[in-house]
Amino acid sequence: MASRYDRAITVFSPDGHLFQVEYAQEAVKKGSTAVGIRGTNIVVLGVEKKSVAKLQDERTVRKICALDDHVCMAFAVLTIFVGLTADARVVINRARVECQSHKLTVEDPVTVEYITRFIATLKQKYTQSNGRRPFGISALIVGFDDDGIPRLYQTDPSGTYHAWKANAIGRSAKTVREFLEKNYTEDAIASDSEAIKLAIKALLEVVQSGGKNIELAIIRRNQPLKMFSAKEVELYVTEIEKEKEEAEKKKSKKSV
Amino acid sequence: MAATFFGEVVKAPCRAGTEDDEEEEEEEEEEGRRETPEDREVRQQLARKREVRLLRRQTKTSLEVSLLEKYPCSKFIIAIGNNAVAFLSSFVMNSGVWEEVGCAKLWNEWCRTTDTTHLSSSEAFCVFYHLKSNPSVFLCQCSCYVAEDQQYQWLEKVFGSCPRKNMQITILTCRHVTDYKTSESTGSLPSPFLKALKTQNFKDSACCPLLEQPNIVHDLPAAVLSYCQVWKIPAVLYLCYTDVMKLDLITVEAFKPILSTRTLKGLVKNIPQSTEILKKLMTTNEIQSNIYT
Repeated sequence: MASRYDRAITVFSPDGHLFQVEYAQEAVKKGSTAVGIRGTNIVVLGVEKKSVAKLQDERTVRKICALDDHVCMAFAVLTIFVGLTADARVVINRARVECQSHKLTVEDPVTVEYITRFIATLKQKYTQSNGRRPFGISALIVGFDDDGIPRLYQTDPSGTYHAWKANAIGRSAKTVREFLEKNYTEDAIASDSEAIKLAIKALLEVVQSGGKNIELAIIRRNQPLKMFSAKEVELYVTEIEKEKEEAEKKKSKKSV
Repeated sequence: MAATFFGEVVKAPCRAGTEDDEEEEEEEEEEGRRETPEDREVRQQLARKREVRLLRRQTKTSLEVSLLEKYPCSKFIIAIGNNAVAFLSSFVMNSGVWEEVGCAKLWNEWCRTTDTTHLSSSEAFCVFYHLKSNPSVFLCQCSCYVAEDQQYQWLEKVFGSCPRKNMQITILTCRHVTDYKTSESTGSLPSPFLKALKTQNFKDSACCPLLEQPNIVHDLPAAVLSYCQVWKIPAVLYLCYTDVMKLDLITVEAFKPILSTRTLKGLVKNIPQSTEILKKLMTTNEIQSNIYT
């Protein structure tokens, strides 16, 4: 059924599908899982690190990127793209240039919503031109605005963007999102460390080899961005495992 | 032209051939009569290359009769595809001592290896095992693609031309969720999810909902199920629709409801240990690709 209407991006099918855009969304599902959480005073981005080949330099495989870093106020806009790596690189470059151009023109750093809108508009343009294909990437964009409110936005290959309290993209995103829907409560994000733990717990649902394959970054209000080292992630993972054991012990005591 | 299940009109492919083919066929026949001995030789070589051979792994000699004619069988569990194979390896094969009885070697254009003489355990095409404590329970791990022209040979070599009816067959396989035809959008489907299809003689209930129309089963699982239906053998196919076709933990765990069925209940013992084995399988099989971040 789809084969007559999925060859060109600019052709709608009779029932209103743009198949190339939907196929681009499938490409996103091939990337590793990423999760973003908006806390009260913190935003957290976590991603599953794919194992690097032996001879490959790990530094070139960074997934969480800063789009803008305003030195005076020490906040930044962080993003993670999931899907085709090359497409992600191109979009990140354009977004970074736009951040600086905005700063030079209006002398104010971009708001998270502005840069998200810019990225989404760029993606939408590619769904309406002939001869080009859509970007096969979804993005999670986090940051603090001037007013100190934390923000989390998600974009997808069709060029739509939405604000979220917590979201996941990539492989098994549905499982992670269901976990977040169950566990994102006011208590869970009450403190910074609880929000971080929620992000790690969500990723552990689908990451196959535990804490050493998780890359994590946070921004706290009025503080510079912080990338977690593997050891710091491990510390949180051990804490989570301890809490789990204690919860199970309590459960078995209650049932006895 | 035909109307599909959901109302759109599409051109249905006709297996009887289209009207245009008739003229071409006549010309082809004339040319066919002029087939040279070289053409015949090439065709025969290709047929020999694509032959399905059933071998005893240790001795590497061919089995003279079909597998199930040689060994009596009460239960046969077939896993087709890497996720189904991983499920059986971690949940069923570690709960007992399984002995290898043979393997099926075949070649087709989809095969990644060209060397069919030395099979490593990770590349073995179709390996057959039986349970040492109950030799009538068989297991097949099929991780290769069996092409359409080879499926009949595979069935003949495994089941034989006149199979016994007192055995129960269980087939496990995976399919990409985009192949699942439904009026809902694929984004709202709870993938991975399990669907079942059974033959008329399978009297037990399946542990998951049955596969609805207009979905169909493809490839070797379809061939085995059709064979069982024709020969009135009770068989059930468990099909897992997933959005990750490579080896994936969540897809393999989607097969777990099958552990409670009558066929597998007695065969599975250590479930926590199985999860550990599964995790190990995942890490050793990770293929690094830099295209997707």
